[in-house]
Amino acid sequence: MDFQAFRQIAAEEAAKLQIEEYELYYRLEENTSVSAFRHEINNFSSASEGGVCLRCLINGKMGYASTQQLSDESARALVHRAADNAAVLETAEPEFLVGAGQSYEAVSASRVPLPDADSMRKTALDGQDALYAQQSVIDGCETEVFAGRTCIAIHNSRGLSLEYENTVSGAFVAAVVSDGKPDGEKANNYKIRLGQLDKLDLNAAASEAAADARATLGAGVAPTGSMPVVFSSKAMAQLLGTYAGIFSAENVQKGLSLLKDKEGSTVAAPIVTLVDDPFYDKSAMPMPFDAEGSPTRRKNIIENGVLTTLLYNLRTAAAAGKTTTGNGAKTSYDAKVGIRPFTLYLVNGPFTQEQLLQKAQNGVLIDSLGGLHAGANTISGDFSLQSSGFLIENGQKTAPVRSFTVAGNFFRLLEGISAVGNDPLPPTSISPTAFVSPSVLVEGLSIAGK
Amino acid sequence: MISKEICERVLQKAASTGADYAELFAENTLNHSVNLVGGKVDSVHDAQIAGAAVRVFLGLRSVMATTVDTTEAGLLRCAQRAAEALAQGKAEISITLRERLFGDIHPIQIAPASVANADKVLLLKDACSAASGYHDAVVQVTGTLLDVDHHILIATSEGLWAQDRQIRTRLMVNAVAEINGETQTGGCHPGARRGMELFEAVDPKAVGQEAARQAVTMAGAGYCPAGVMPVAIGNGFGGVIFHEACGHSLEASSVAYGNSQFCGKLGEKIAHEKVTAIDDGTIPNEWGSVNIDDEGTPSHRNVLIENGVLKSYMIDKFNGRRMGMPPTGNARRESFSYVPTSRMTNTFIAPGNDKNEDIIASIEYGLYAKEMGGGSVNPVTGEFNFSVNEGYLIRNGKVCEPVRGASLVGKGSEILPKIDMVGSDLACGQGMCGSSSGSIPTNVGQPLIRVSSITVGGR
Repeated sequence: MDFQAFRQIAAEEAAKLQIEEYELYYRLEENTSVSAFRHEINNFSSASEGGVCLRCLINGKMGYASTQQLSDESARALVHRAADNAAVLETAEPEFLVGAGQSYEAVSASRVPLPDADSMRKTALDGQDALYAQQSVIDGCETEVFAGRTCIAIHNSRGLSLEYENTVSGAFVAAVVSDGKPDGEKANNYKIRLGQLDKLDLNAAASEAAADARATLGAGVAPTGSMPVVFSSKAMAQLLGTYAGIFSAENVQKGLSLLKDKEGSTVAAPIVTLVDDPFYDKSAMPMPFDAEGSPTRRKNIIENGVLTTLLYNLRTAAAAGKTTTGNGAKTSYDAKVGIRPFTLYLVNGPFTQEQLLQKAQNGVLIDSLGGLHAGANTISGDFSLQSSGFLIENGQKTAPVRSFTVAGNFFRLLEGISAVGNDPLPPTSISPTAFVSPSVLVEGLSIAGK
Repeated sequence: MISKEICERVLQKAASTGADYAELFAENTLNHSVNLVGGKVDSVHDAQIAGAAVRVFLGLRSVMATTVDTTEAGLLRCAQRAAEALAQGKAEISITLRERLFGDIHPIQIAPASVANADKVLLLKDACSAASGYHDAVVQVTGTLLDVDHHILIATSEGLWAQDRQIRTRLMVNAVAEINGETQTGGCHPGARRGMELFEAVDPKAVGQEAARQAVTMAGAGYCPAGVMPVAIGNGFGGVIFHEACGHSLEASSVAYGNSQFCGKLGEKIAHEKVTAIDDGTIPNEWGSVNIDDEGTPSHRNVLIENGVLKSYMIDKFNGRRMGMPPTGNARRESFSYVPTSRMTNTFIAPGNDKNEDIIASIEYGLYAKEMGGGSVNPVTGEFNFSVNEGYLIRNGKVCEPVRGASLVGKGSEILPKIDMVGSDLACGQGMCGSSSGSIPTNVGQPLIRVSSITVGGR
């Protein structure tokens, strides 16, 4: 049974239960991936997944249920499950459905022609050749080539009917290097390239992955103490991703973000401007509408240090007496509508990374952070995170250091950013949500090493 | 779910281009959870996951195709896709499936789906109001009561046809406390491979109070000092240290590719002689337990490290081929959409002979990590990290004031020899472990242990 037929049956069942307001959200993802190891294809997978989420408004409460089975029986059961779930809800703020007749930005989705299996195999093997041509690379290097299509459809009882399709392809190359000694030290690094397969420069990606891995060999231990820290573009993007939830009006309204009542106040250094852009030019998945069907738009969240707006969906906007920012989001097709940014990026400043290192003089350059799901408290803002990077000595990047931690508080960090870099911004992730930042300099963070 | 005859035809199609192994995995899962925010029911999540995956091997090549169309025609199309992607050959094999029965060692008394939403709400409210009533400093409480009814079927070209129904229930309460403008969180998340009878053993009120106690304790705490020091790590979820520092590096998904610090170390001493570590999916009704793994291999009790010596890896069928070793019952996947690989089940450090008071008394200046948070590891280098949710400073062998914001980092192969005292109060904690085959329930566990020196991140 296809989605159209499923919709008909669900609509009939909703009518029988006298449910007047409902929405069907359909998401289908078809993903193919091919991986290679030791110059041979070792895995191939072709997955088709997704499903339908029904939400229905009963006595002002929105009940949800979802299924992956498109059948007559599951369509009918779905309506009853959603109605049962609506019956126990108690939160005061109602959810809303979007009506027809909105105007949406035209986005150029579906920009990549999907490759066939043979060209994916060839690219995966080319990736192996590219990796093993690098200096110090040893057995264990993997490559993976992926391609996928995402289809989203939203139909509701208020006449809204939206459809979206997007394709993406790319490759992942992972280099393992060693210092060449028997039983010696190993290090690894990977790079992801997005775009049409025959246009990807895998040699450059392999070379960067191997070089970045080699640079960490022989890493020592960082000193312990309070010192200036330069976060690389990657590390700062990791931090932004971890703490993006503080800008969600839902978290604020639930008492789970410290930005309550802070709209219009200074929350960051004046050199900080933070933007959420659904149409970001390097996004692999630009979105004209959000998970509720509201039109999306670009906005500054922080402008010159001032919190200009939180991110809202319909429910939280109504509760705050505002209009939605078009940030309704579902973490997967079956999830309740929450809030997420699209491409959240920190606007570039005037300095090269070398100039940031000069300003820091003595401290550490943190290239990568680990354990963000555990070591960062998104409510209090406190973090204590595994880090790897390089020492900064007399304004220069010197010896690699690893297995140390950086500790601080994200809210204090935003206020304490003393210089923003102008690194070329990397391509973003394959999902509509991505985090991008240049390098930044922050004074006085706690480093724990030896 | 799907008859033997259909499975036979699907497997024959899957193997029709020359596969030396074919497997059909089908599932029908109901995920249900009720979420409470600030004392009110905020949302109910209710999702049916249903579909199938066909996997075929030829030597060291593996292909998987998935579908949500579980009609015979849909499954045959899926098998065809897998067969075509694997090879161009032509093979006709005859497959006769026999149902393999195994005793269900994880009996369920009250299937969660048979309990009305309203009753689940009452239970959750009990837990959350106990948290908000614990102390004036508690400013927000969120709670989730979740249950999973995961029905799986596995059929293989080796003739196996087996089904398992895995029911799990978990209560999660998180509290936020604020003291003098400082906000901290606490949580308590017990779960088991049980139905609603879980709450005969677990008192929802006590769960709420524990979450609140942690939040209030930490809101009143100062920052943990940074440095290298001895650390005593408490039992239960403290076992996450072994999970990250060693467990992931013993999974065939790293070992088979040479990407583990413990490759080629079987029979060698990799940990202090006081360390014996076990992965055991056969413990009745535990959170990480399975009757059979997601390739149909019966679950085992695998001694990973015995008195410091590496004894076993955790191995799935595909990676086992590369390693030349049999599967150990550790193949797991979140759902049919994920390629299964070797994962942990219930993994713990076995009880030792040290007394808890001796462990604390042995530390002149260090950290007592009473409750741990999550962590992660890079198996290639062995570098791991995890966070301390509730910590106390130890001075002169005595547990002193609470400290917050601590994390522990290190390298697995360097930390294992430093676990030099092991207590006897073994307990397990429940977690969700994320890796390439998705997010799966695993138990971590240990008695109180001492790590003689480790980097503590703080400030």
